Amino acid sequence: MSAEKKDRVVCTMFALLLAGGLLLCFFMPKNRYSESERRMLSTMPALSAENVWRGRFMADFEGYAADTFPFRATFRRIKALTALHIFSRQDNNGLYVWDGFISSMEYPMNEASLAHAAGRFRAICEKHLTQENKVYFSVIPDKNCFLAEESGRLSMDYHEFESRMKDLTDFAEYIPISDLLDRDDYYRTDTHWRQERIGDVADRLAQAMGASLSQDYEVHTLKQDFYGVYHGQAALPLKPDELRYMTNESMENCRVYDWQNGREIPVYDLDKAAGRDPYEMFLSGSLSLLTIDNPGAETDRKLVIFRDSFGSAIAPLLIEGYSRITLADIRYIHPDYLTQFIDFENCDVLFLYSTLVLNHSDTLK
Amino acid sequence: MLFSSLTFLYYFLPLTLVLYFLSPKRLKNTVLLLTSLVFYGWGEPKYVLLMGLSILLGYGFGLLVEKYRDKKAGGAFCAISVAVSLSFLLCFKYADFFLVNLNKAAGLALPLPGLALPIGISFYTFQIISYTADVYRGEKAQRNPIHLAAYVSMFPQLIAGPIVRYSNIAEQLRAREHSLKEAALGIRRFVIGLGKKILLANQLGELCAVFRASQEKSVLFYWMYAIAFSLHIYFDFSGYSDMAIGLGRVLGFRFLENFNYPYISASVTEFWRRWHISLGSWFRDYVYIPLGGNRKGLGRQLVNILVVWMLTGFWHGAAWNFVLWGLYFAFFLMIEKLWLLKRLERSRYLSHIYTLFLVMISFVIFHGESMGQVVSDLAGLVGAGGIPFVSAEAVYYLRSFGVVLLAGGIGATPFVSALFRKISENPAGGKILNLAEPFALAGVLLIMTAYLVDGSFNPFLYFRF
Repeated sequence: MSAEKKDRVVCTMFALLLAGGLLLCFFMPKNRYSESERRMLSTMPALSAENVWRGRFMADFEGYAADTFPFRATFRRIKALTALHIFSRQDNNGLYVWDGFISSMEYPMNEASLAHAAGRFRAICEKHLTQENKVYFSVIPDKNCFLAEESGRLSMDYHEFESRMKDLTDFAEYIPISDLLDRDDYYRTDTHWRQERIGDVADRLAQAMGASLSQDYEVHTLKQDFYGVYHGQAALPLKPDELRYMTNESMENCRVYDWQNGREIPVYDLDKAAGRDPYEMFLSGSLSLLTIDNPGAETDRKLVIFRDSFGSAIAPLLIEGYSRITLADIRYIHPDYLTQFIDFENCDVLFLYSTLVLNHSDTLK
Repeated sequence: MLFSSLTFLYYFLPLTLVLYFLSPKRLKNTVLLLTSLVFYGWGEPKYVLLMGLSILLGYGFGLLVEKYRDKKAGGAFCAISVAVSLSFLLCFKYADFFLVNLNKAAGLALPLPGLALPIGISFYTFQIISYTADVYRGEKAQRNPIHLAAYVSMFPQLIAGPIVRYSNIAEQLRAREHSLKEAALGIRRFVIGLGKKILLANQLGELCAVFRASQEKSVLFYWMYAIAFSLHIYFDFSGYSDMAIGLGRVLGFRFLENFNYPYISASVTEFWRRWHISLGSWFRDYVYIPLGGNRKGLGRQLVNILVVWMLTGFWHGAAWNFVLWGLYFAFFLMIEKLWLLKRLERSRYLSHIYTLFLVMISFVIFHGESMGQVVSDLAGLVGAGGIPFVSAEAVYYLRSFGVVLLAGGIGATPFVSALFRKISENPAGGKILNLAEPFALAGVLLIMTAYLVDGSFNPFLYFRF
């Protein structure tokens, strides 16, 4: 190619890319929701003299232009591949891939956050509980706990984390579970643990609280692929997970009531399994307050679990040992309102939280 | 508006280029002015008025200076013009700094105006000063206010330079040629500059931010930070200059070079001939030489160096670390002038190491958010305070940013351009390069778009539901 021809091609290509980009930005239909980030995308800001004068229109337009850019997911994938494979970055936006697993590099330990979480739990105990209530606490390590060392990524000192939380929650009996877990107990593309692999954890918790489980489950596998939350965030081409759930007679007979929406819900919502976040099939996802009643229980024991999303998968396994389990997520309901719905008398109480929430506990009310 | 934004690349730039190239020659400066005002107003709608006032005053004073050039009044008008321009700069950039220090020194509690810094004010103020000074020195004043306004506000160089002298582009403002060859050269330069900014500077900046947030500092991490910031500031600034020069070329302007591989310098003196050339030459021509330069004896020359470099430091920011940064360079420039320069010529390698080390230290001073932080960063480089030599965090980030640091180190030398030149000298190699260049540029542009798009990645923090 002659230099003159090359110049012509350079100019033409540049013009086409810019003009094509402009036209697509203007005329391509815009997504309103980002599946990978699980958030609403920015919309075109209102154009008014005041908005322009104050600079609000321009600031909001920048967000809108980036959020609605044509083929955004593809561009994010190109970026992730460039960062990881050309620049050999060890993580992309704090996420890394190791041996088929995607994990967030949870680091460093946030002492203030731990203290805040423990403070919230203590406040609940002081306000709602008496000496009669038995209080337990357990920490669920995130996936990075098991992947960081072998992959050479940064991680918190999880022993120190547990020990710190244990010290801060001296009002509760600590139940260690991390020794029962390994990386395979977590979905490869999601933050959460796999229900079919945590029967032993449920048993440890139940035993420590004086309940017993038969551990007799039937495992079901969903036909559709499960792309977890990290899959969308990482924007990388990775294999999906399988989503399995376990049932037994107790679970099949129990009734779940969603206080937030005033309705009965199933233990496993198979419609949600086909939705935006299939993990929401476990007790219908992020709900502030649920009760699970087990009419066939051989005991009248009751348990209140203060929990995050990890609790959704394990609570059904525990129901066999209780006549009622109440699940409260104090990220979505202020603890002061709990007594309107929960009678704490003769209840055991378990604070069951993942390191992910404890290390970013500003969301706990 | 930033060059490295989707709004600029895929909204502003294509629309501007279409308007510019469709407009007749006599209206091109008007289009350039209007689009530049949109570009500036996008980030600073209110400060468009301030820039407009500065330009109008520059225009008026330019005419007055020209009219009375041969009389005392000409000098007076020039001085007033400079004083007015500087007063804007003092008011918007330095008022808080002076008042804070006055309050501290005199135990006062004078309220601070707290004005937001108008973007690019340091650059356009210097351009207006250079314009009136050039007119005073004999350059013809610009009679067309649109041409002058287009010169001052021209979007390619408005926010981050280079500081374009009026005398260098006066003729181009009147009449300039546009060609495919120039446009292609400009596009290549723009894409390279954008690549420097997005692919290197931004990633190096990320490493600096990680270091700053780290609670596990080590000597290794301090050195990584110092090297990363030195490369970051180079690629950031020279990337912007490349983009400005490239866009200028597309629009038919030839701006002077602003960087010339400063990190291959063998002395601080050479470094400043290669780093931010337009600022160095501005201070030389409008401060150093008017002060007497080297014409009034060694003692006066050293004082002049001290003044110029203190002002150079202060120009970069209203904080003591910038003053210290300027004085630091003044000190080494004086040492070199007095006796070191000759000795440095004896060993190119040692002089490189000497220069790189001093420049790196200078940027640690430059980047400190306070004098306290500057001291602590410098102390960290020598392991003061009992910090460990190495930490897991430093090792991790060294692995994670190793390729970026290496690419930055190589990219800061003429190696890549020399390699391309060598290949293009070979007939077959030249053909291959010609064939590959358009696609490589398009590919790089798409990758940079990907980085910009990913910049909006903002996962919902409650995703853990």
